[in-house]
Amino acid sequence: MRSSVVHTLKGFNRRQWLVLAAFLLVLGFTTFHAYRLVSRAVYWHYHQDEQIQGWMSVRYVAHSYRVPPHILYQALGLPYRPPDRRPLQEIARAQNRSLDEVRAILMDAIVHARPPYPPPPPPPPDKGGPP
Amino acid sequence: MTEQLLGLLSNYGLPALFLILTIASAGIPLPVTLLLIACGSFVAQGEIGFWQVLVVSMVGAITGDQLGYFLGRWGGRRVVLRVTQRFGGALMIERAEAYARRWGGVGVFLSRWLLTPLGPWVNLTSGIAGYSWPRFLFWDVLGEALWVVLYVGLGKLFSDRVSALADLLGNLTWVIVGVLAAAILGWKLLRYFRGGDDAPEQAEKAEEATKAYTPATEG
Repeated sequence: MRSSVVHTLKGFNRRQWLVLAAFLLVLGFTTFHAYRLVSRAVYWHYHQDEQIQGWMSVRYVAHSYRVPPHILYQALGLPYRPPDRRPLQEIARAQNRSLDEVRAILMDAIVHARPPYPPPPPPPPDKGGPP
Repeated sequence: MTEQLLGLLSNYGLPALFLILTIASAGIPLPVTLLLIACGSFVAQGEIGFWQVLVVSMVGAITGDQLGYFLGRWGGRRVVLRVTQRFGGALMIERAEAYARRWGGVGVFLSRWLLTPLGPWVNLTSGIAGYSWPRFLFWDVLGEALWVVLYVGLGKLFSDRVSALADLLGNLTWVIVGVLAAAILGWKLLRYFRGGDDAPEQAEKAEEATKAYTPATEG
């Protein structure tokens, strides 16, 4: 069996070697993505919170972390109404902060809005309710 | 890149979504999977309307696909002819065109929503192969509708896990593409090991079959 495989391989022309090389490359590529798929699925299964990223808006972070949006707007010194829809990267740039700083501010506000801390107060009436 | 695209979406709304999807479907690689899922999440948060997103995304993606198709049909064919006249390989091109005509509809449909990385290539080769435009449009609309509803719907359903979902779907798509490519190449290799795939008689037979098939399927 093994000798017949070697014999066939020895008789391969250039095109057949190319097909074999492409097959091995595709196998490697597929294995890599399958591994990533499984490892990420396991990761997301055990991690409820997504890492805050530059593309996210303040409202999305509040929605994802299940905290009231006004506390995050307050933490960043932004008005609650009308809601600021810019991505965090743009907000950071406008405030001359790094994205890491913005992330740290938001995480601090999120931690203080969750147990064991008392629930955050409702948004101030002069700044309006949820839009 | 994602930040800039979502920035455009927040600043300019649906016209930006239309433009981004048109450009991406025409073949410029942009992270539109994340964009559509994020749109689904925005819909869940009440920031944009569900039907508006569906219609604008579909029209944008279909417009981009048509650009790719007609680029292949009007520009690509001339380039391919010039290359084959100078360097040969006309037979291979003919066979590829015949296959594109034969599997065109299924290929177009699947590359819209399941094998999305292949989409722009399928647009170009369908145009080059002269695949019937009404049929291309039919499968394109069907596939893009499914793609948009699927991704925006998933984004709406898992509106608080956009990154995770985009990450998993991105990897899953590449695994499906890889498994299909590995199956095709593996089948070819198996035929080599069993002997005779490249035998001249078989190549001639395949060529004859292709020629016989071509006139009957042209739309």
